Amino acid sequence: MNTLGLMSFGPDGWGYSMLAATGTTVAVAACGFFVGALLGCLGAAASLSRLRVLRLVADFYTTVLRGIPDLLVIYLFYFGSSSVISTASALFGAEGFVGAPAFLTGALAIGVVSGAYQMQVFRGAVLALSKGEIEAGRAYGMPSLLLFRRIVLPQAARFAIPGIGNVWQLVLKESALISVIGLVELMRQAQIGSGSTRQPFSFYLTAGALYLLITLVSGLVFRFAEKQAMRGIRRGV
Amino acid sequence: MPFDLPFLAESFVALLRGIPLTLQLTVLSVVAGGILAFGLAFMRISRRWWLDAPARFYILVFRGTPLLVQIYIIYYGLSQFPVLRNSVLWPFLREAYWCAMLALAFNTAAYSAEIIRGGLLSVPAGHVEAARACGMSGFLLFRRIVMPLALRQMLPGYSNEIILMVKSTALASTITLLEITGIAAKLISESYRPVEIFVCAGAIYLAINFLVARLFAWLEYAVSPETRKPEERRA
Amino acid sequence: MPDATTMPAVALSGIRKSYGPLEVLHGVSLAAREGEVISILGSSGSGKSTLLRCINMLEVPNGGSVAFHGETISLDQTPGRAPRPRDSAQINRLRSKAAMVFQSFNLWSHLTILENLIEAPVHVQKRSRKDCLAEAEALLERVGIADKRHCYPTHLSGGQQQRAAIARALAMQPRVMLFDEPTSALDPELVGEVLKVMRDLAAEGRTMLIVTHEMAFARDVSTRTVFLHKGRIEEEGPPSEVFSNPRSERFRQFVSREHLQG
Ligand SMILES: Nc1ncnc2c1ncn2[C@@H]1O[C@H](COP(=O)(O)OP(=O)(O)OP(=O)(O)O)[C@@H](O)[C@H]1O
Ligand SMILES: [Mg+2]
Repeated sequence: MNTLGLMSFGPDGWGYSMLAATGTTVAVAACGFFVGALLGCLGAAASLSRLRVLRLVADFYTTVLRGIPDLLVIYLFYFGSSSVISTASALFGAEGFVGAPAFLTGALAIGVVSGAYQMQVFRGAVLALSKGEIEAGRAYGMPSLLLFRRIVLPQAARFAIPGIGNVWQLVLKESALISVIGLVELMRQAQIGSGSTRQPFSFYLTAGALYLLITLVSGLVFRFAEKQAMRGIRRGV
Repeated sequence: MPFDLPFLAESFVALLRGIPLTLQLTVLSVVAGGILAFGLAFMRISRRWWLDAPARFYILVFRGTPLLVQIYIIYYGLSQFPVLRNSVLWPFLREAYWCAMLALAFNTAAYSAEIIRGGLLSVPAGHVEAARACGMSGFLLFRRIVMPLALRQMLPGYSNEIILMVKSTALASTITLLEITGIAAKLISESYRPVEIFVCAGAIYLAINFLVARLFAWLEYAVSPETRKPEERRA
Repeated sequence: MPDATTMPAVALSGIRKSYGPLEVLHGVSLAAREGEVISILGSSGSGKSTLLRCINMLEVPNGGSVAFHGETISLDQTPGRAPRPRDSAQINRLRSKAAMVFQSFNLWSHLTILENLIEAPVHVQKRSRKDCLAEAEALLERVGIADKRHCYPTHLSGGQQQRAAIARALAMQPRVMLFDEPTSALDPELVGEVLKVMRDLAAEGRTMLIVTHEMAFARDVSTRTVFLHKGRIEEEGPPSEVFSNPRSERFRQFVSREHLQG
């Protein structure tokens, strides 16, 4: 059977399963991305804070997580939480290894990794803010939180969009690694399909094409968002 | 969890055995990918659409898809074709080692090409013009003026790319190679002690990447004496 | 009168240059004899830089020809296609004899001043490194920045950079020197030091073509003044004549305007 026939939506086709798996890929990537956004914000705030301890912790977090392979982090989360769950269920009399839910651990793992990258983006965006505008806010008597919410955040968001777009593409591609802990996303589905049809090339090629499609579409979305956000900003270059 | 020092030491030693393979994969694929990247970068800046378009497409595809897909296509996918299975290439393409190397090289070529292109484009037009006005052209102009200036711009980005490559070699473990992450996965599934092994493996990767970063910082310092103050240079 | 049989150092005949549909030079002819100092004046956009860059083929003219000491540069000027040189070896050889000094200096930032000076002599002209170094030191001495020879360009003032750039041009032992507004990127107080170096060069009988806005300099130093307007030569002659008694109304206006500003 040729690739198009394999991927058809008929009873013998793998079209539906591949499409559903694509949905899972986007879902797990999105969850990881949001976890990362949260951690990234916290990290950026910590790294810009006046407390030395917080700065050190944030620095440690981003250095370590950007310096070790994502696959290793995924293994840690999966086997780590599995052993916790196994120990817990042993208390209730269950025997042996109990696997952790792959979606949850996968999303958390890539969330923690992407948080390290997002932290850098947010930090850079805040540092790029014009000192004068913040001072103007202070001069008009804005309290810190108000200043942050009304002046710092909206501006930093604008500067952060291109960097955040890059991190999203990264997360999307990283999500393929979650297949190693058994989550049936695009990559895993392609493995299953190629196992049962002995046509690995067709399946991985299709998976690649679908990934490419998602990255292209999200690239367009981010470019549009950037354009919207940059209205009213004069570009120096 | 009790802190088991002997176990930690034992795992650490076991993991150290993965370093040569990790480094081999990194160095060979970075060298091969770097050569390919130069070709792609030149195609991109050639101003000829029939050279530019294929290079653009290559970069789009390899940067837009996960490395894992690329590895699987080469390692598992190519076996779908009897033509390849019967060819002289098969002894190589059957080996996980060469497949991982090939995928990593193709992948890093796409990213490096853009870094190199950025470096080349950063060379001020006036500098090139001045060289032309002195009668330089072709390879001489490239070797003496363009490349040294481009290199200064490229190094920071390239240092990042190599660190990413060190991390990417971990994916070779998914096709049975026992580099650092491969050994770590094996140890974890044998001992069910992920935290200790993670700490050991992580420390090794951090050490490697720290050294890469230092090496590039030194290189950058070495090739750009013009950014230093005159007194510093004499010392 | 110099010997009529000697070939001019540079001869341009009927130079035309277009950028797309816009023709910038409409057939300019100009010859510089050995030892002549020609100043090229004209308002902004009149095509002065383009003309100068056509001499060493940084821009390839769409029509007309350029000859150095009687050797005509071989050009492919087929209509409908971008003009290009036929023989790049010839271009490189002639370029190394017609050194150019740029408005923005364009010293190579990765090389020290001394290295900037010996770069082309060693690698293009293949002269011995030792000779080039000795000569470069002497040239730097001459333009008054010998103490800066081991500095990088970024550590020099604008005036020093331009003097270094002139020394770099001299290091090629050029038969002709081309200057494109060498002082207009400089602060007023730095202009003098560069003009002094150029005055000395003119006095020793070098062939020079100088695009400049420095009226007094053009008047005192050049042997001939050319006024370019909209890609054509409007006025041409010894400065003593053209400045005191311009034939063209436009040149008269140009001179009075520049005088008011200067
Ligand atoms: N690369 C180019 N592409 C298109 N047009 C150009 C280019 N270079 C110059 N021109 C045009 O050619 C005309 C002449 O330019 P040129 O630089 O020769 O003027 P100029 O006399 O040197 O002016 P200035 O005194 O400002 O330096 C201008 O109208 C300019 O816009
Ligand atoms: Mg000009």
